[in-house]
Amino acid sequence: MNIVRMSGLGAVLVAVALTVLSVPAAAGTYSLTIEKKTVNFTGRDREAMTINGQVPGPTLRFKEGEDVTIHVTNKLDVDSSIHWHGFILPYQMDGVPGISFPGIKPGETFTYRFKVRQSGTYWYHSHSGMQEQQGMYGPVIIEPVKREPYRYDRDYVVMLSDWSDQSPHAILSNLKKKSDYYQYGQRTLGAFLDDAAEKGFGAALRDRLEWGEMRMAPTDIADVAGYAFLTNGRTAAQNWTGLFRPGERVRLRFINGSAMSYFDVRIPGLKMTVVQADGNDVLPMPVDEFRIAVAETYDVIVQPKEDRAYTIFAQSMDRAGAARGTLAPREGMVVEVPPLSPRPQLTMADMGASHGDMDHAGHGAAPGGGAGADPHAGHVMGPMSEYVPGSGLAPVRKAGEKFLVYGDLRAMRPYAGYRKPDREIELKLTGNMERYFWSINGKKYSEAEPIRLKYGERVRFKFVNTTMMAHPMHLHGMWMQLDNGTGRFSPLKHVVNVAPGMTLNVDVPVDAEGEWAFHCHLMYHMATGMFRKIIVEKQSAAANQGAGR
Amino acid sequence: MKTPIFAATLAVCLIAMGLSSPIRADEGHGHHPSFGTPGKAADVKRTVTVITRDNSYSHEAITVKAGETVKFVIRNEGSLLHEFNIGSPDAHAAHQKEMMQMMEMGMLTPTGIDAEKMKMDHSAMGMKPMKHDDPNSVLVEPGKTRELIWKFTKPMKLEFACNVPGHYQSGMVGEFRFGK
Amino acid sequence: MKGLESKTVVLAAGLIGMVWAAAGPSPVRAMEDDQVTTFVEVEQLEYRIKDGKESLSWDAQAWVGGDYHKLWFKTEGEAPVGERLEEAEFQALYSRLVSDFFDLQVGLRQDFKPEPERTFAVVGLHGLARYFVETDLAAFVSHEGEVSFRAKGEIDLRLTQRLVLQPMAEVNLAVQSVAERHVGSGVNDVELGLRLRYEIAREFAPYIGVNWERKLGETADLTRAEGERVDSFAVVAGLRFWF
Repeated sequence: MNIVRMSGLGAVLVAVALTVLSVPAAAGTYSLTIEKKTVNFTGRDREAMTINGQVPGPTLRFKEGEDVTIHVTNKLDVDSSIHWHGFILPYQMDGVPGISFPGIKPGETFTYRFKVRQSGTYWYHSHSGMQEQQGMYGPVIIEPVKREPYRYDRDYVVMLSDWSDQSPHAILSNLKKKSDYYQYGQRTLGAFLDDAAEKGFGAALRDRLEWGEMRMAPTDIADVAGYAFLTNGRTAAQNWTGLFRPGERVRLRFINGSAMSYFDVRIPGLKMTVVQADGNDVLPMPVDEFRIAVAETYDVIVQPKEDRAYTIFAQSMDRAGAARGTLAPREGMVVEVPPLSPRPQLTMADMGASHGDMDHAGHGAAPGGGAGADPHAGHVMGPMSEYVPGSGLAPVRKAGEKFLVYGDLRAMRPYAGYRKPDREIELKLTGNMERYFWSINGKKYSEAEPIRLKYGERVRFKFVNTTMMAHPMHLHGMWMQLDNGTGRFSPLKHVVNVAPGMTLNVDVPVDAEGEWAFHCHLMYHMATGMFRKIIVEKQSAAANQGAGR
Repeated sequence: MKTPIFAATLAVCLIAMGLSSPIRADEGHGHHPSFGTPGKAADVKRTVTVITRDNSYSHEAITVKAGETVKFVIRNEGSLLHEFNIGSPDAHAAHQKEMMQMMEMGMLTPTGIDAEKMKMDHSAMGMKPMKHDDPNSVLVEPGKTRELIWKFTKPMKLEFACNVPGHYQSGMVGEFRFGK
Repeated sequence: MKGLESKTVVLAAGLIGMVWAAAGPSPVRAMEDDQVTTFVEVEQLEYRIKDGKESLSWDAQAWVGGDYHKLWFKTEGEAPVGERLEEAEFQALYSRLVSDFFDLQVGLRQDFKPEPERTFAVVGLHGLARYFVETDLAAFVSHEGEVSFRAKGEIDLRLTQRLVLQPMAEVNLAVQSVAERHVGSGVNDVELGLRLRYEIAREFAPYIGVNWERKLGETADLTRAEGERVDSFAVVAGLRFWF
């Protein structure tokens, strides 16, 4: 991985240089080659689909305002593509075969050209088939034109991902045949007896019957298992290491490039100050731990003061394993890796079923603050959690520690166009767990009409998760302003985690014409139908006036 | 010195509100901060203008002398609330916890001080209004300018810092260097 | 015999053809939400010791198709060791998802044994009932116009993550008596089984178990008249596998 060291002086010089040079826009040319290569993450050789021969692909460094030209050559024997995740660009450059362009045929080179209109931490990945699971992803760092609202001495990308020795087609096939194929944490007779001893036989039996009635399992946290979790392409044993001098501020750019895995991230012994979410600056928020949904990014600043190693510990949400890295003053230093936390279990609250009175106050969470609500309201209640009260999936906060929740994310710069949405579109997240296919409003991509939006309108997407899985919903080409009860400070995101049983609102400023993909970023949810095409059309002036009201 | 009252009030408040981690009346905010005393206007020999932005100071370090009284003029050119607080790293760490609680309770917002909120919340509970009025610190709202006069007593590890949640951690801190 | 073999060949060829079609190459697309899957599962392939006599029996299914529409095949049968087939049936069905957990199935069933052969029209409901009961309900109308019903249920009880106890029950009913097939009207028989399997992999699990069958009502009378026993108890060992 690339390592950038930036002294304070250097940062100033770069900032000055950028300011001076901003009149003649920078223009960079980059070349990427997609090819098969043998990798070995598990002790067994496997064929990966790589970008420039590596997993992850190379870290691309753009500058805000730069006109980039990227030649992508496909040396595979199947079609491929590169999608610029979180980028605001012309839709023809978005890289989704069948929507933005026809894809890149074997042996061909496609040239992406666009102006970089944003800054922060982003990433890129294949949007063809399920190639992303096979290794086709990489980080993008975009330097801002203006000075960043934080200072740091070192800058590292920490790209988390999940590698499987099984082909994604075999995985999907297994899920279609036996949807619990990968569930090796199911409740057994032993677990029942333990429960019975603890809660009484009647209560344990009632609990089993309740779940049995729904034909669901509380242990069903992740669909797929058997992953090797990687940090910048290194296994836990290979221990990716970032160096620091005690007292330095280190920026860590976390990117979840996984196909299916959410991670809970902490660095025992260090507070992490979250300064960016999905590439956008947020009011700095010191936390002890945060959860990163698939395809989200979070930038944090840490300041290790002691002359010792610190473990970056990212355990998968289902506790199947952990990605690991180390921050250390010298290469080769290590510190103990913490054990995995207990596996979470879903509750009836996650099912969206109201079993008895839900105790809203008890969890300090007020779901759905509502746009235009007093941004101070709910402060006494605490920031909004993105999980339903009583959820078994909600992060467990240790005493005296702070676990980031969505309500903590406030945009550094309040969004200028913040207003009430013009209309609301309800999107029920649906699926068939047993037969393993996923959908929106009960329809798979292949069965559904595109969603049509009007250029210039502000649309509220109301996500209603009727399933028992968390879905990282990703909109291409436009921001989603997460309605987290902070009013005009609501953060802009390209992926929002919609938790089981949860209703979550986002407002979309519809400011990009064209055809865009919109989908769950869990690979096998997307591939089985949890996907829509969004068409943004300019209206006639007259029609626009009417719509604006 | 109203610091003990402030801290005690806050602590009682938080306990009353059932929050899980009441802050401590921290030793960093004792009666006589060892890192200097409020200065008298008559003793001012030097004025230093510091500009605050989101989230940084115009100065990475400021040189002072032991025994010197300095007037700091703090101009907030950012869009967020900022603080100029003189203290030891430990004192800043302790103050950050207080600031976090004040932010969570809505007394402070990202862009300002909610005086109404302070009064409303706490007079209702029969308590005195809370204030952020430590003599070694000023809060400056966006576009505003505030002054702070401080007498530096002896050379030591001393920082000026913004303890609005997250600002210190993202680099809004500088050191006082003691010159001859 | 010739007829039987040719039918088997035709059915097998059809099955292989569909597997072939499904496994063929497909172009890379952004979305594959209408993909075709092929599934073959031998739920039981077992050796039975029943009242001192040995036999081999099987129960298997296969399907090919997408999420909503499938072609579904089922077969079961039994052959005493060293003897000719005693029971053998094969079903070819069109299967359509009608709720989150159930498929409606219609098609044909061919009983090769016991003789005389019978062909049936089938309407059934197959899926996962509440409390995780794998359920197969079917109504049959033979080419002679005889109507019968079958209900089958089984459930997986996990003792550990790999050791699974599976109780099963089956009951058959007939509307008319068919003396030549030793079938009386009313409830014909019940079958109860209990199998303990160890999943070496999800796809491959050896098991041991017991199986008990009892003929009832008029069917039992017909069986007794033949001088045969109306109930039987078997100890079984076998293999469950799928691909």
